[in-house]
Amino acid sequence: MVDFAILEHYHFVVTPNDLELEEREILPMTSALTAMRSLALNRNRNRNRNRNRNRNRNRNRNRADPFGKEDSAIQEPWEERARLYALRDEWMDLPVRLPPSLPELRAQALDLLKKQALLSLPQNIGRREEILVEAELELSRYLRPLGIETHGGYDATISLMLTVMALTDEIGLYYKARWNVPRPNQVEPRLRNFLAAPAHASYPSNHAFQSFALAFVISRVIPEHPGSGQLFLSARRIAENREWAGVHYACDTAAGHSLARMILPVLEKVLQKNMLAAQAEWM
Amino acid sequence: MKFATPRLRYDSLWHLTALGVLTRENMPNTWLPEDVKKPARVAMIDTSVAMDHPNLRPAINQKLAFDLFSTRLGAFPGLVGQSCLGDLGLGTAQGVVAGLPGCQALLDALDARLAPDQAPCIGTIQPATSPVFSGHGTAIAGLIGARPVVVPMAEAYRDDPRDTTLALPYCGVDPTCEIIPISTNFDTDPEQMILAFLYAERIKADVIVLPRGIPDPFRMQPELYAHDLGGRNLGELTAPCPVSDEDRALWAELAELIVKISLRRPIVCAAGNENEEYGIYPANLASEDNGVISVGAVNAKGWACSYSPPSGLTVWAPSTDAESFVEGDVRLDMAQHRDDRHGIPRENNNARFSRFEIISTDVPGQGGYSASPYDSAEPEDGLREFGSFFCRFGGTSAACAIIGGLLALGRGLQKIPANADGVEAKAWLLQNCVTPVANQPNVCVPCLDGIGAFPVDTSS
Repeated sequence: MVDFAILEHYHFVVTPNDLELEEREILPMTSALTAMRSLALNRNRNRNRNRNRNRNRNRNRNRADPFGKEDSAIQEPWEERARLYALRDEWMDLPVRLPPSLPELRAQALDLLKKQALLSLPQNIGRREEILVEAELELSRYLRPLGIETHGGYDATISLMLTVMALTDEIGLYYKARWNVPRPNQVEPRLRNFLAAPAHASYPSNHAFQSFALAFVISRVIPEHPGSGQLFLSARRIAENREWAGVHYACDTAAGHSLARMILPVLEKVLQKNMLAAQAEWM
Repeated sequence: MKFATPRLRYDSLWHLTALGVLTRENMPNTWLPEDVKKPARVAMIDTSVAMDHPNLRPAINQKLAFDLFSTRLGAFPGLVGQSCLGDLGLGTAQGVVAGLPGCQALLDALDARLAPDQAPCIGTIQPATSPVFSGHGTAIAGLIGARPVVVPMAEAYRDDPRDTTLALPYCGVDPTCEIIPISTNFDTDPEQMILAFLYAERIKADVIVLPRGIPDPFRMQPELYAHDLGGRNLGELTAPCPVSDEDRALWAELAELIVKISLRRPIVCAAGNENEEYGIYPANLASEDNGVISVGAVNAKGWACSYSPPSGLTVWAPSTDAESFVEGDVRLDMAQHRDDRHGIPRENNNARFSRFEIISTDVPGQGGYSASPYDSAEPEDGLREFGSFFCRFGGTSAACAIIGGLLALGRGLQKIPANADGVEAKAWLLQNCVTPVANQPNVCVPCLDGIGAFPVDTSS
């Protein structure tokens, strides 16, 4: 049963800085408010109306070099790696779908041949440039949907992104080694990759895994950001560009996405401090 | 010129007074909790919720809480550790998938998933429901159905040894309702949202609350597909990735499914925070002949909030205002601009701005919108502070949650008959609307008593 006597005797008063608990003095015919007790004037870091895209936040703090090396430089995340391995049992055996058989991989490679032919067309010059940029670790595709590509003041958010990339790179290699699926050009020799295939196995795609993991993590940090959905599309574009480059099958992309979704609860435990620090930048 | 700034102090439950739910003394206005014979069930499709928040614990049905963020066919965070689901007392959703083959296939998969012998989690996948990152859902749940409670104070943090307990006098619109969180991620995935709505149907929700948009590439900005550029439409040209025919069909089915379900139970949708004409998707599905309800926001003075259009939506509900400095609506909080008043036209709407903000429940401790001053884990023997348990909130998300709560209360008090469908529930809302400001005749706010108490903020 709802105890309205609590509301009869106490109420919260909102002030510009605080939420104050006040005890009411019940008077005949009216209820005057008396500040008999005022507790816990916590800092309330949130002025969030759940609608801000923080477009103007930190507008005086532009990033000097939005795509420069500073973005890709974090200290070795040794603490996070230690936490990750302390939870090894929680992420080493996620139910990723088994890789397709060789005939199915050959069938999927046919789609890569089509993409290879299309990629050489003039209208795909933009995609060729994207593929080259995305071959290395590069954050602009993730920062742009959030509107902070050229903004300063989001160091913890960027650091979080880089840490996600570092940890998922390593996790992905474990899964790749498990199945040791050959790269598309090993299955389909007529495939002339736009990029050299990396030396490790194909399934799942680490570009897909890392990009989607980042999107899932960021959408837990700032779910109400209007760019959350767009971040997933950016991730998909990056993942599909690897198919256009001839280094991944479509099934690699799907497996990377699936792994990213399933591993989010573990990443949330490993990266809780990092995520809270990033979240504070958006409040 | 000097500006007088009155000391701003107001009751945290001002929105309930405005809606005629509570009196100015915060007592139920012309109703009693005992009048609720069967609490309404609210399905809340949003982020996860801090289910152990003291004001929410009595409201949340942890057994039925369902997470689709990390698990394709869903996980039960409140049943982790249990060997099987057992009988969840669910209904059927077969009636809403007729003619929707993609939805039918997903319902078949969902039905198999919800069988009594199934485990709460699938394999090693954990639900993504950590309370730390459940800020949005926790605020939404609080606005719908938080209960006022008294909790123990942690012994080590008492200023006075006699302070053994602490009152948390916060209340949702319907403190008798039952809330079932259905948590989702923000991937551009039609399947996940279809499953969320099918689950809401299977739990026989009285009200479905959707305080978020759905990233349907074809319906978020449908006008893009009407622009031709060299023989191709702008929607396709600007899409980062092509959408498969299968997904395209599923997105279309999802839109149909939402309307079909809304005919059985009202679906309350946030209309968006960017002044979108007719609201964002799926709020913009609202029409006279379905039970989709698009919700805009009004401030404590009764004016449509600056981010919410003054027409084209179903209803409006109280929320936090925001400043606006655009042609047609200059609405500034002059208490913030004493020394920077350049460019403000003589004719402005500054007097419409309200500084009253919506307060709701927040994730205790470090997570959520308001952080605890303590870094360590919450003490087990009680609270050491209450500031991190509540937050300022707003947007049409807040307004949407408030309308969801009002519908639940209407259902609980049998003002909406138990057999009423979504259209009838919506009609009840519309029958009880007031127009808080004569100059905005289209802005209608439903009130429990059909009268309300606008304006709550009477400052000029």
